Amino acid sequence: MLGRTANRETQQRGDDRWASFESEAMPHIASLFRVANWLTRDRSEAEDLVQETLTEALTSFHRFVLGTNCRAWLIAIMYHRQSKRRRTNMHLHLVSDPQERILETLIYEPSTPQDVTDEEVLQALERLPRSYQEVVTLADVEEMSYKEIAIALDIPVGTVMSRLSRGRKLLRVELASYAQARGFARRLTADSEGEGIRHELP
Amino acid sequence: MNCHEFRGIADSYLSNELSVEGNHEIILHVDLCPSCRIELSARRELRSILRNAFVNAPQNQVRQNFARELSTQLRENVHANHPASQGPVPLNVIGRAWLAVAACLILAAVIGVVMFRELVLTPEKTVATQSVGGELIESAVGDHKNCAIKFRLAEKPVDLEIAGRQFDSVYINLKNSILSQQENLPVDAQFVEAHSCVYEGRRFAHVVFKYHGRLVSVLVTNASGIGAGSDRKPATPVQSSVIASSQTDGFQVAGFETVRHAIFVVSDLSEAENLALARALAPVLLEHISHNESST
Repeated sequence: MLGRTANRETQQRGDDRWASFESEAMPHIASLFRVANWLTRDRSEAEDLVQETLTEALTSFHRFVLGTNCRAWLIAIMYHRQSKRRRTNMHLHLVSDPQERILETLIYEPSTPQDVTDEEVLQALERLPRSYQEVVTLADVEEMSYKEIAIALDIPVGTVMSRLSRGRKLLRVELASYAQARGFARRLTADSEGEGIRHELP
Repeated sequence: MNCHEFRGIADSYLSNELSVEGNHEIILHVDLCPSCRIELSARRELRSILRNAFVNAPQNQVRQNFARELSTQLRENVHANHPASQGPVPLNVIGRAWLAVAACLILAAVIGVVMFRELVLTPEKTVATQSVGGELIESAVGDHKNCAIKFRLAEKPVDLEIAGRQFDSVYINLKNSILSQQENLPVDAQFVEAHSCVYEGRRFAHVVFKYHGRLVSVLVTNASGIGAGSDRKPATPVQSSVIASSQTDGFQVAGFETVRHAIFVVSDLSEAENLALARALAPVLLEHISHNESST
């Protein structure tokens, strides 16, 4: 009888643990997959990474403080797992970057173009240096705080802030160039259908 | 606030990183400055456009069955570790459980006898858990239940090395010492994790293993002032140590101690399995802790 009672108790503990984990962590699968897909650039690998992340999270669930940002906690675990897989790629450091110096002196901040497609937005994001992409994605897409991003990427909060600021500026510049190119193409098309006169844009 | 200052912190405002005062300053400034108002709107729009593009991108949509498959698999992993999934409990295990309860009731007398034999006949052996009373055993079991199994402690666990520098130097390198002896552990004993945690005001070093599908806690706590005496002999590393075994609240507890610390191995394994793990870990734990105690 003692043995059966102990078994029921441990079964109940397992149920309680799963119920808590399921309500806190499992709703973030879609978000985790987005980040994993961005990290791995491969859907199958992304699914593996999500699975590994949640398995580790389940084991370490006693470390999670209820009421805090579970998604940010899971993403930090994911980055940790990914760094184990590709250790050399994760040790990014900011090297002397002419683009940075240009950004430091950038006065003109283009307005956000209205008619860019989703695909163009993502392509513009892809053209950013990876260290900027990372921070912009976690801050603006996954809405993580500076501190949460700093923990996930293992960088200082100040670095998060500067990369985010520069990344957003650069993204606007990239999007403006898409809009400008489209405007140029539109003018060319209109001119060829009209009077056959081309205007070269600066 | 001027426009230059505004542009410096506008991103932080959009990321909800400013204080209440900072937010008010931003709002006041954009109320009065049309160009900064437009700038803030542009930055806000950029975030929105980016988020929508990322979230809606076809390649970022999770496969329809993935979430369900993953949920099922994780849930199975949880319940595969519990004995209820393994069918009815054999009668000889139930019988042994009754014997363990009886052993608990006469534990103090048994330990006293063992201590006399060990102290008088084999003085170089480790002092048994004479002073490790029910209170410490209950704390150890409580920590195992609420930390390793339920993940519900009032205070968040901390890294073992950090806790070692802050609270008790025996925690430093404790995990590495244990893992360096992994070849001496039973074959399928797997390390899960290590940290320092607090249960009802008592701090433990907590190393968690998985063995035969069950979670096992190795707990080290400072037992100074609890039956500790100045005449206690320092522990020496020996091949076998005197280990007391008992059952509390459905868990097997194997305990031994040094001059200032008590060590417990807690699990819901059988008594023999729990004791086997404790015997395998005792030499390295005693050596590590005693060495640390003698150098402080």
